[in-house]
Amino acid sequence: MDPDAAIETRELTRVYRQRWRGREIRAVDGVSLKVARGTSFGLLGPNGAGKTTFVKLLLGIVRPTAGSATLFGVDCRRPEARLRVGYLPENHRLPSYWTGAGLLDFAGALSGMDARARRRRIAELLDLVGLQEWANVRLSRYSKGMLQRLGLAQALMHAPSLLLLDEPTDGVDPVGRQQIRAILRELEDQGVTVFLNSHLLSEVELACREVAIMDRGRLVLAGRVKDLTAGKGYLVTAAHVPEALFETLRAKAASAAMRDGLAEFLFPTREEANRAVDVVRAHGGWLESVTPTGSTLEEVFMRTVRPQTPEQL
Amino acid sequence: MMRRIQATALLRDTLREAAARWVFWGFYGLSTALILFFLFLLRIDVIEGARATVTLLGETSPRALPVTRLVRQFEGGVASFLYVAGMGLALFASAGLVAATFEPGRIEWLLSKPVSRVRILLWRYAGAVIVVALNVCYLVLGVWLILGWKTGVWDAHFLVAAPTTIFMFMVLLSVVTLAAVLTGSAALATMLVFALMVLSPILAQHKLMVRLLDSEFWRDVWRAMYYCLPKVFEVGRINMNLLRDRAVESWMPVWSSALFAAVVLAAALAAFSRRNY
Repeated sequence: MDPDAAIETRELTRVYRQRWRGREIRAVDGVSLKVARGTSFGLLGPNGAGKTTFVKLLLGIVRPTAGSATLFGVDCRRPEARLRVGYLPENHRLPSYWTGAGLLDFAGALSGMDARARRRRIAELLDLVGLQEWANVRLSRYSKGMLQRLGLAQALMHAPSLLLLDEPTDGVDPVGRQQIRAILRELEDQGVTVFLNSHLLSEVELACREVAIMDRGRLVLAGRVKDLTAGKGYLVTAAHVPEALFETLRAKAASAAMRDGLAEFLFPTREEANRAVDVVRAHGGWLESVTPTGSTLEEVFMRTVRPQTPEQL
Repeated sequence: MMRRIQATALLRDTLREAAARWVFWGFYGLSTALILFFLFLLRIDVIEGARATVTLLGETSPRALPVTRLVRQFEGGVASFLYVAGMGLALFASAGLVAATFEPGRIEWLLSKPVSRVRILLWRYAGAVIVVALNVCYLVLGVWLILGWKTGVWDAHFLVAAPTTIFMFMVLLSVVTLAAVLTGSAALATMLVFALMVLSPILAQHKLMVRLLDSEFWRDVWRAMYYCLPKVFEVGRINMNLLRDRAVESWMPVWSSALFAAVVLAAALAAFSRRNY
C-alpha cells in the first residue's frame, strides 16, 4: 500500500447475501483505486452502482468481504484512519435536539478537539457556510439546504486532510451549490483531498479534476476529467490483454479500465489509438472495438455505463 | 486526553437527547408529584414521639400507629412503586434513547468519527443509566428527607431502594441494548424487557414447577431459564428485605443477574462491532 495516497483500495469487495432467496449481491466487486493526496476526485455511477457502499467501506461503516482499503496508509477498519477524514453522509439525520453550534461542538469533540479550538472553529465555519445567525437555533427548525450546509461544516470541523462527501448538494438551491463548489475549490487549493460521490455529472465535472465511474459494483473507468472530456478521443476495447501490457498501455492512455475481462483504453489521438491496436495484436490480444469518444462527461458516462434491464431497476 | 474529550461528548449527547424527550421529563414530573404528595398532602402527627396519626386530604386515620412502622410502610410503598412502575417507565424511555443511536443517517455519521464502536455504545448505555440513576436518587432522597423531617424517623434502610432499582435497571437495560443493536427497534426492546419482568415471578416458583413437571427435559429447561434469566422478582424481594432490616437468604439472584447483564452487554458490543450499516 502507498502511504502517500489519500485513499487506496485493493480488490475491495462487499457481497450481501439474501439468506432466504439464496441470492448474492456484489455491491462492490473487486475495486482497486488510488486517489492521490490533494486532488479532487469524483465517483460517478448510476443509482445502485455501489458508490455509497464503497464510501462506507472506506470509513469502516461496512466491513469488506474481501480486499483491503487504507486512508493515508492506515487500515480503514481502525478508528485512527478516520482522524484526518471529514464525512458528509447521504440522507443524513443529524441529531435534531442540537443547535447548529452545539452540533459542531459535538462533532469537534468526537474528533478529539479541545474546547478552545472548537469554539474558535465553530465561529469560522458557521461564517463560512452562512449560518452564523442560526448558531443557537435547534436543527429541527433548519431547512434541508441549511442542514446540508451544516453537514458540510461539521465535516470540516477538525480541518481534515480528506473530505468524503456523499451527494453534498442534495436539496441545496443553485446559490448554495455555487457556495459549496467555491468552498471545495478553496479546500483543494489548501491541499485537502476532496472525494465527491454523486450521480450529478455536471456537479462532478465542475468540482473534480479526476473521476471514476462505477457500474454494478465494479470500477469501469477512471481518469482525469480533462483527458476524458478533451476534444475527440478513441476508446480501444480489447480482450486477452496480458497484465503487463495492460499496465504499459495504461501509462500511455488518458484512462484505462478492465471490465468483464475486456481492457478499455482511452487515447486522445487516432495515431496513439492505432499504435495501441498494433501492440495489442502483436501480443496476442483480440481487438473488440475502437470507438470515437465524445467531449462531455455525460457522454463518457453514458457510453461507459450499461443500460439496466427493467428487473435491475 | 482525546478519549476523555470523546467520552464527555458522547455522554453529553445522551443527556442532551434525554432532555429533549418528554418521556424523561414525565418521569421526573412523576417523582416530583410523589415528593410533593408527601410534602403537602400527607400530614403525619406524632403523638408523644412513638405513635402517629395520618391525615390525607383532610381525612384523619381513626387510630394511631407506631410511628416507625408507619414510616416503613410508606417507604416500602414508595420502594415497590419505584421498583416496578418507575423501572418500567425508565426502561420504556431508555429503549427509545438507545435505539435512536442506530437510526439510518445518524449511525453512519457517528461511525465516521474516530471513535471505537465499543465506546459509542458503552457511553450511550452509561448515559441512560446516569439519567435514570439521577431520577431514582432524587425520588428516594426526597421522600426520605421529607418523611424524616416530618416524623423524626431517619430510617437509612430505605436508601437501599435506590441502588437496588438502579442495579436491576442496568441489568434490563443491557437487554434493551442488545435488542436495539440487533433490530434497531425500541418497541421490540421494550416488549422484550417487559416480558422478562412478567416472566420473573413465574420462574421464581422453580421449585414448585420442577415438582409439577413430569418430563426431566422440561424440568431442565425450566431450571436453565431460571438460572440464566435475570431475577427481577427475587431482587425485588431482597430489596424489601433490606428495607425492613431482614436477613437476606441468598445473594444468588443478585450475582446471577449481574452475570447475565455482563454477558448480554458483551454480546451487544460484539454484535455492534461486527454490524454493517
